[in-house]
Amino acid sequence: MIVAAATEVDAFRERIRDAAAARPPLRIVGAGTWLDAGQPLAGTMSDTLSTRGLGGIVEYVPGDLTLTARAGTSLAEIRAVTAPEGQWLALDPHGADEGTIGATVATASVGPLATAFGTPRDLVLGVEVVTGTAAIVRGGGRVVKNVAGFDLTRLVTGSWGTLGVITEVTVRLHARPEVDLSLAIRLPARGDAVDAVRLLLRKAPFTPHACELVNDALARQLGIGDRATVIVRVSGNAEAVKAQRDLLGQIAEPREVSSDVWTRLRAADSANGATLVFRLSQLPSRLEDIWRAAMAVAAAAPDTLVHATAMRGVVRCIVPASAHEGDVGPVLTGQSTRTCVGERLPPSLWQTLNSAVQRDGGVARLARGIKAAFDPARVLNPGILGEPL
Amino acid sequence: MSAPLLSRSLAAGIDQALADRLAAIVGPRRVLFRPSELLTYSADALPSYHVRPGLAVFPGTRDEVVAVVRELASREIPFVPRGAGTGLSGGALSDGAVLVCLNRLTRILSIDGENGLAVVEPGVVNVALTRAVSAHGLHYAPDPSSQAACTIGGNVAENAGGPHCLKYGVTTNHVVALTVLLPSGEIVRLGNAEGENDGYDLVGAFVGSEGCFGIALDVTVRLSRNPEAIRTLLADFLSVDAAARAVSAIVATGIIPAALEMIDQATVRAVEASIYAAGYPTDAAAVLLIELDGALAGGGLERDVRTVDALCLANGARTVRVARDEAERARLWQGRKKAFGAMGRISPHLVVQDAVVPRTRLPAILERIQEIAEQHRVRVCNVFHAGDGNLHPNIAYDASDADEAARVHLAMRDIMESCVAAGGTITGEHGVGLDKLSYMELIFSADTLAAMCSLRDVFDPERRSNPGKVVPVHACREWHMSPSARRRERATETT
Repeated sequence: MIVAAATEVDAFRERIRDAAAARPPLRIVGAGTWLDAGQPLAGTMSDTLSTRGLGGIVEYVPGDLTLTARAGTSLAEIRAVTAPEGQWLALDPHGADEGTIGATVATASVGPLATAFGTPRDLVLGVEVVTGTAAIVRGGGRVVKNVAGFDLTRLVTGSWGTLGVITEVTVRLHARPEVDLSLAIRLPARGDAVDAVRLLLRKAPFTPHACELVNDALARQLGIGDRATVIVRVSGNAEAVKAQRDLLGQIAEPREVSSDVWTRLRAADSANGATLVFRLSQLPSRLEDIWRAAMAVAAAAPDTLVHATAMRGVVRCIVPASAHEGDVGPVLTGQSTRTCVGERLPPSLWQTLNSAVQRDGGVARLARGIKAAFDPARVLNPGILGEPL
Repeated sequence: MSAPLLSRSLAAGIDQALADRLAAIVGPRRVLFRPSELLTYSADALPSYHVRPGLAVFPGTRDEVVAVVRELASREIPFVPRGAGTGLSGGALSDGAVLVCLNRLTRILSIDGENGLAVVEPGVVNVALTRAVSAHGLHYAPDPSSQAACTIGGNVAENAGGPHCLKYGVTTNHVVALTVLLPSGEIVRLGNAEGENDGYDLVGAFVGSEGCFGIALDVTVRLSRNPEAIRTLLADFLSVDAAARAVSAIVATGIIPAALEMIDQATVRAVEASIYAAGYPTDAAAVLLIELDGALAGGGLERDVRTVDALCLANGARTVRVARDEAERARLWQGRKKAFGAMGRISPHLVVQDAVVPRTRLPAILERIQEIAEQHRVRVCNVFHAGDGNLHPNIAYDASDADEAARVHLAMRDIMESCVAAGGTITGEHGVGLDKLSYMELIFSADTLAAMCSLRDVFDPERRSNPGKVVPVHACREWHMSPSARRRERATETT
């Protein structure tokens, strides 16, 4: 399964050297399924550097529960290789499995499974990148525990390609549980229902694989009813799953639903033609506050889809193209009471969001220093994480 | 490797005037400057190195730490941050630099039981945090064997692990935000405890930076919920290979044990002959200590216990014993956690190694380690985190016997090279420090080491915080002179 990738990586180095010498900068892309995410690149022109051709599993030893793949390998390919071994990569970023592992790691994208398995920062064991100076740098390794040297793996993960083009990734896999059951529970109409769900889960003696609250519009789109609903993914042996299901019954009667509901949830943005996607986050104890802020957006912009990862304190808003920017602007600026992270926004709203963020001056200086160390000529996705980067 | 003489290569500027100035900040009793007083601080938990700091200072408050570091910055004096000194890689050793000891900063600043977060000062002892949050039904999951003494600040610096990291993750998975005092004296706030962090993962970069990026003034950690029930199993095997196969079989089921530890016969015998005797069978080739945790309702946890029990027996376990009560569980764990202490009875010195291999390579590497031991005529004991493939081969020896010490050194190097050749790494939780500098080039290219150096320069452009550790400087291209030194040189040239 080893892929002859040396020539591809050499070609990347050549492209990066050329860009560093003469510009224009490079827009790094994977499968190209999420190109409108992130801030607009600095400058007016850019060339595209795609890792899509750099695919294939490099090493997979099921007994080690680790897998090394070239960056252009799709999540679907990883699923196809690991499923027969009863294993999976517990990452379900929004979009579809056609997305690449490289882009998932570069953007540190997560989905509902982050409830139990954490983010790519918790699942990536090693990376290889080509930096802005065309150097090949490898962080981490292929083992599950590793503290050798400074943690370049975590630094690169979620850096949106601004420090280097990811060419290879090693991830931690998990064994599939005996039972993996998806349940839909209608959210009671009570005013404190969101908080009641959160509290029940906080006190429960188990952590579900996923637990998302979806608003009425999203429930309709997922085909699980027309009212706000909690979808939960419980797992373990049959006895444990039955006990978890019984406990969740305290919210309302759970209905078993097909696991396809998660695939449809991940595809929700493309289904409503959204151009505006952002996330609000806060301490989990303040989930209700950010849920209410999202509901205000949904009230102003009909057909807005909202889902909350209850145990992480994150609410994601998917606003249809028909919405007015004015309906959304105010919610982006409440940074003193919550964090807002943009995924896809029009340039004017990026500006609104950027001006609301209060960055620690020292942190901004460290970030600029790191960018300068890895990409001194600013050729890799410049500006995609905001102006200084 | 024989105990070297205590050198005292004082860094420039460390003199009585500095001692007086620091004493004005922290009080005269909190500055040690006389060589005899500094002897205690010439080593950490690793017996192979002894170097004496130029001076040791013990600030008692955050403000004092800041004032001390700013004073050192203004005088361009190098320093080494130190927690409890329980490190096993020589990371907190200071050869002539100022030792900034943080073990007096022991306040737990806040506990948020609702969100499972705590903010602590760097000198809080690991187990003290778990004790403080237990009333909330929470604990701090990373549990290094030294947890009764080691500090959270030290854990952050080393990205410490422990047996329960198999299920719950290591230190870096539990730190959400940090207030960091950069070596320049500037204070920065990294991460976001109240929501998502966008931008670079500076918390992730700082955790495990071994004191080279500055000092954590406070650490916001994520706490874990106490499991409803815990079951601890002891399985004994007549071959190491069978025990290793049982490990793989358990992990393959999808059950993630809270801990999965292997203890070999030599270690079992040392433990059983000590005051930490845990009731391990001394005729077994290896024992596995397996912990499962979870919910009681519906009998789910008991099902997992039966599954693991059956898998051990199917893979050749002679007996599988489940601890009946908390006392028995504590006894089984004490044998594991105090194994290194028990080994201390055998010989005056003990060197504990730390390496990782892919889990499936465990049987082969354990066999290889035995060959290496025989070749160099040393006695290697193995007690380690089998579920993670994180080995801790350790050798009891007499450091005053130069020949034996040299053989130990060679055996350790061979073990390390074998682990790397098996696709592993040179440290899973102890850090690189001083001890593993020479192994860094086994696993990282010059370009990668240079990237690490340049990252360090962003946090500490003057290279004054824990100088000479983690990255072998000679391996970093264009890194022989710090940016600030280059600036100074350029300034001199132009004047």
